[in-house]
Amino acid sequence: MQVLAVMAQQQPAQPEGETSGGVLGVFEWLGTHFIGLFEEAGSQFVDLVTGILPTLIVLLTFMYALTTFIGEERVTRAVQWCGRWWITRYSVMPILALLMLTNPMAYSFGRFLPERYKPAFYDSAVSFVHPVTTFFPYANAGELFVWFGIANGVTQLGESTVPLALRYFLVGILVIFIRGIVTEKLTAFMIKRTGRSEVFADFDRQFEQAKAGEKA
Amino acid sequence: MTERETTAGREATTGTDTATVFVRAGAGGWGPGLTLRADEQRTKVLSVTGGGIHPVAQKIADLTGAEAVDGFNTTVPDDEVVAAVINCGGTARIGVYPRKGIPTVDVYPGAPGGPLAKFITEELFVSAVGMNEVERSTADGGAAGTAAAGAASGGTSGGGTPDGAGSGGGVPPRDERPSASAVAATLPVGGPLGKAFHTVTNVFVGFGSAVGSFVNTMLAAGRQTIDLTLKTILPFMAYVSLLLGIVMYTGVAEWMGQVLSPIASNPFGLLAISFVVALPFLSPVLGPGAAIAQVVGTLMGSQIAIGALPVQYALPTLFAINGQVGCDFVPVGLALGEAKPETVAVGTPAVLISRMITSPLAVVIAWAASFGL
Repeated sequence: MQVLAVMAQQQPAQPEGETSGGVLGVFEWLGTHFIGLFEEAGSQFVDLVTGILPTLIVLLTFMYALTTFIGEERVTRAVQWCGRWWITRYSVMPILALLMLTNPMAYSFGRFLPERYKPAFYDSAVSFVHPVTTFFPYANAGELFVWFGIANGVTQLGESTVPLALRYFLVGILVIFIRGIVTEKLTAFMIKRTGRSEVFADFDRQFEQAKAGEKA
Repeated sequence: MTERETTAGREATTGTDTATVFVRAGAGGWGPGLTLRADEQRTKVLSVTGGGIHPVAQKIADLTGAEAVDGFNTTVPDDEVVAAVINCGGTARIGVYPRKGIPTVDVYPGAPGGPLAKFITEELFVSAVGMNEVERSTADGGAAGTAAAGAASGGTSGGGTPDGAGSGGGVPPRDERPSASAVAATLPVGGPLGKAFHTVTNVFVGFGSAVGSFVNTMLAAGRQTIDLTLKTILPFMAYVSLLLGIVMYTGVAEWMGQVLSPIASNPFGLLAISFVVALPFLSPVLGPGAAIAQVVGTLMGSQIAIGALPVQYALPTLFAINGQVGCDFVPVGLALGEAKPETVAVGTPAVLISRMITSPLAVVIAWAASFGL
């Protein structure tokens, strides 16, 4: 095994003309490049682990602890309050939901909305799961590489990723807001188109009743 | 929980009018297998795979005498579901149904991971299931009944433990034990000195328990983080590194750069990408686990690193490659928000159509926002 490893390390240094020809040469070529491939992959792995992981781990720990301290109840109240107006419904509400409950449980906050707004809220919230990873990776730690993949390239150029991260985050907010409104309109159109206006008017009444019942 | 156990027990005693189906894990799959059975209340097999009812869901439905239902068109109350059939190799959908206590059959070789990993247990989850892994159970109802009865009796004895321990002179349950402040209060000190002592003790006790809860919360957060790192982040890094290694070492990266950079480094190319990924028949296929967006993101990053793609196109690229985000998850996401079946019926097409408008729009906004980067 050791001999193999030593050979593999020495091989790339040799000029190609010196390798023996014939069948053995083919195998030598294969061996060199076989191990070379994985050495390259290994160095990529070390870059990712040393570059991203240490900060990520302490940040994740901090944010998980913070969300525990703040408590779901307090955020739930804030989210319910946000759900009343269209401006906050597709901006503050999905962001709070993601920061508190993370992907995928964030969508469960849709239960505080009337039926006709639920698809738009889902669309808005799910569209923020990648912009949110720029500064709050814990909110969607399973899908980091949409952002980290691009950011890694920028880092390798020797540039800071912060300006890009900030813009991704802010443009993300604008996009989820527009997306929420467009989807809300399209949902209303689909309700009319499929002749479900009555059904949804009924849902709205049920929602109002449930809310009145909660207050009483 | 107890309700379901009793149901299972009753079924076992009344006879075998409904068939039991055993689903085992396929090659590369996870879990010892599930025993499924329909009853008066649980009558639906939910297929949440997209593209109609999955053959595996249909087979389970046929064998148990239940009805197969397409989860993308309709929602079913959780307590009517015999099992959910999913196709998820990612991290989100895989845990949603186990979290609700619904037995979940994954047709992909998924394994516990992601934020809901702790809900994905051997009793509720099996993966890499194909048609051959679904069989009419050879073990008759009796065996299943015994298991259920065992679990039920376990439950009762578990429920009885605190009382037993309390009367048996063992350690009393936590709330019956005198608290630290109560112990402090019984100390035989009187007068003003005692009062002061009492106050000081209370402060210390309060402070102590605050520190205790703080430390415990931080520790739990650390544990959650390491768990996630080991189960989700590191495996993904390993796979991304291998992919990057191959692409960089073989020179595919440069070759891709030559093909991609004309498309990715002009706004119209990016607009075209964003529109294509948002097409309603493609977006639900491209979505799962954001696997494709993550791989494309990583590859685009490698293009930026070798200079094939200018940095100012990074932002519109991020939106262009991700127009499909969450399109695979619409019915499940809506179900998490307790949406009614009618809402899913109008909401799913609304979201998919909305993407065709908002996905290119997002690229335009991002492109406009990249000036001066």
